[in-house]
Amino acid sequence: MTQRKRLSNSPSLSQNKRQSGSFMTQGDSEDATFTQPSTSQVQRGLEKVTSAQVDQKTAEVVQYFLVKDQKKIPVRRAELVKNVVKEYRNIYPEILKRAARIFDQVFGLKLVEIDNRNHMYILVNNLETTDSASPNEWLTNPKMGLLFVILSVIFMKGGVVRENLIWNTLKKLRVDQGEKHEEFGDVRRVVTDEFVRQRYLEYLRIPHTEPLEHEFRWGQRADKEVSKAKILEFMGQLHEQEPQSWTQQYRDAYSLSQGAQATTSSLR
Amino acid sequence: MRRSRGGGDEDAPRQNGSSGRRRVEQQHGDGEEAGPDFSPAGQQEEDDDNDLGLRREIRSKYRDLINSVQQNREDMLSPSNNRLTEVLEEANKLFKDVRQAREAALDAQLLVVATDLGKEKASQLFSEGSAFDSATFAEHLPSQFVFPNTLPGQMGSRLLELSFMGLNRLEDEEDEQNRGSGGYLPRDAWHRLARRVQCCFKTAPSFHYMMGSFYAEPPPPKPRIERQRKAPSKEAKRIMPTQLKKMEESHQEATEKEVERILGYLKSYHQDDPSPISYYEFVIDPNSFSRTVENIFHTSFLIRDGLARIHMDKDRLPCIEPVEEEDVDAAGSFSRQQCIVSISPKTWRELIEVFEIKHSIIRPPETQNE
Repeated sequence: MTQRKRLSNSPSLSQNKRQSGSFMTQGDSEDATFTQPSTSQVQRGLEKVTSAQVDQKTAEVVQYFLVKDQKKIPVRRAELVKNVVKEYRNIYPEILKRAARIFDQVFGLKLVEIDNRNHMYILVNNLETTDSASPNEWLTNPKMGLLFVILSVIFMKGGVVRENLIWNTLKKLRVDQGEKHEEFGDVRRVVTDEFVRQRYLEYLRIPHTEPLEHEFRWGQRADKEVSKAKILEFMGQLHEQEPQSWTQQYRDAYSLSQGAQATTSSLR
Repeated sequence: MRRSRGGGDEDAPRQNGSSGRRRVEQQHGDGEEAGPDFSPAGQQEEDDDNDLGLRREIRSKYRDLINSVQQNREDMLSPSNNRLTEVLEEANKLFKDVRQAREAALDAQLLVVATDLGKEKASQLFSEGSAFDSATFAEHLPSQFVFPNTLPGQMGSRLLELSFMGLNRLEDEEDEQNRGSGGYLPRDAWHRLARRVQCCFKTAPSFHYMMGSFYAEPPPPKPRIERQRKAPSKEAKRIMPTQLKKMEESHQEATEKEVERILGYLKSYHQDDPSPISYYEFVIDPNSFSRTVENIFHTSFLIRDGLARIHMDKDRLPCIEPVEEEDVDAAGSFSRQQCIVSISPKTWRELIEVFEIKHSIIRPPETQNE
């Protein structure tokens, strides 16, 4: 626990440094209006408000997250401060800490920062998922099936694939990027826009390609939410092979889930 | 890179040829093809150079090859596919007759495409363990759509059974090509898959209001609301001033009329008896306090507009008299004084008694008579 704390503390230091660095060079970042208050500032700020006020603000933040999470679009710190925290911005770290505690203890969710530069947060299920059907509407959303196919192909192909491969695979499953799908509508938009905004996928231009080509990678949300080990297990069943037979993927999946904490911290 | 190579190769088909040979050697491990059988550059015959038909044919064949590689890229990537070797052999045959820069450039272009493909094939070879073939994956996956909890091995026969049972008649309307590549997918296929794979996701359940909520997407409705709001507000603005004007007008008209009416009484009274009229006798209506107040109010306009003037008589009681037409302008130049008249029901009654007022000079307007 202490180690974990140290791990999550030290990156936040470097992150502050990086932030101030980018602040100097860019100056136009969304965060320009908001700089993380220091611990002493927070302390001083807390002296000026009642505990009930802080709790009230925290509740608003929690609600904001829950509603925002309906669309699975990450919450940016800047928008959170602007829309909810407002005049309490000087004690923002304390409010976020309390919100994270509420998510953990009341909702069984984990508040995760997925992007240190832009300060974006998502909610991840903190409870063990069961194989039995859950009433989780989002998960029985057919789009998750589509997403699963794409993530699996990317993972099994070593982490990055050209978009053509994805479209070809989907075409074999009757999903054509040029056609309107009865379930997904404009599939191209779902895959290259919706999934990307939700941070399930990264869709990047491959440099020096003529004509223009793009590649897909796992997005930051996928890294936090999706279990590579479980995907590999599924692949094993599907191909009637041992998951271990995909040596590289197997190593990737299990090293990550073992040292997940360390890896995510180092990613920060 | 492609261009520079093509441009520089005008007089050096040999280089191109040797690169072609290298290509084949690179691929040697992949297929079983024999060594290249093209002739070295030295053996060209000069008269070929001018054979336009042949030139066009060579270019067209190169383009076809390049297109076929680009279009079938994914299939050619599959480890069992030998098409890349075949393409390279064909290219080597074509290269025998290459004489001009344009053809050499096309050859170089094909080389780029083939190399890219070769690189990816190679990366598959080098990866440890089993390779993953997305095509096989796509073939196996539909089994999960149909029977999410059965193992793939049992699937083939059951799928077949289903299609024999005519469950795929939905498919008949779709075109042949689709049927060939996709196979049969039930309507809720993607739901089934989502349910099957949900264990892979640690996605937070999303939060919903039991009684529903606003559709949580503010950007689209916003402009609509604004537009709607703007339109009526403009109209309202337009209506508001006209309404106000009307009210003011009618109010003012009523006041003006009343003021004029009172002036009429004052003048006719003055004509009948030019001696100063006691102010109180003039304004007081012994039957109504409120009428009295109204009269005082309206009379004050006469004073303000200089149509009447009030002065004190020898008993220090206020008297009122109309100002003659020709004096009106002159009256404006007099220094005006203001005073406030206050009256209460009590003073009103006292005044009536003292002045022995029996009837009002200003008759109440007919319209307001009940």
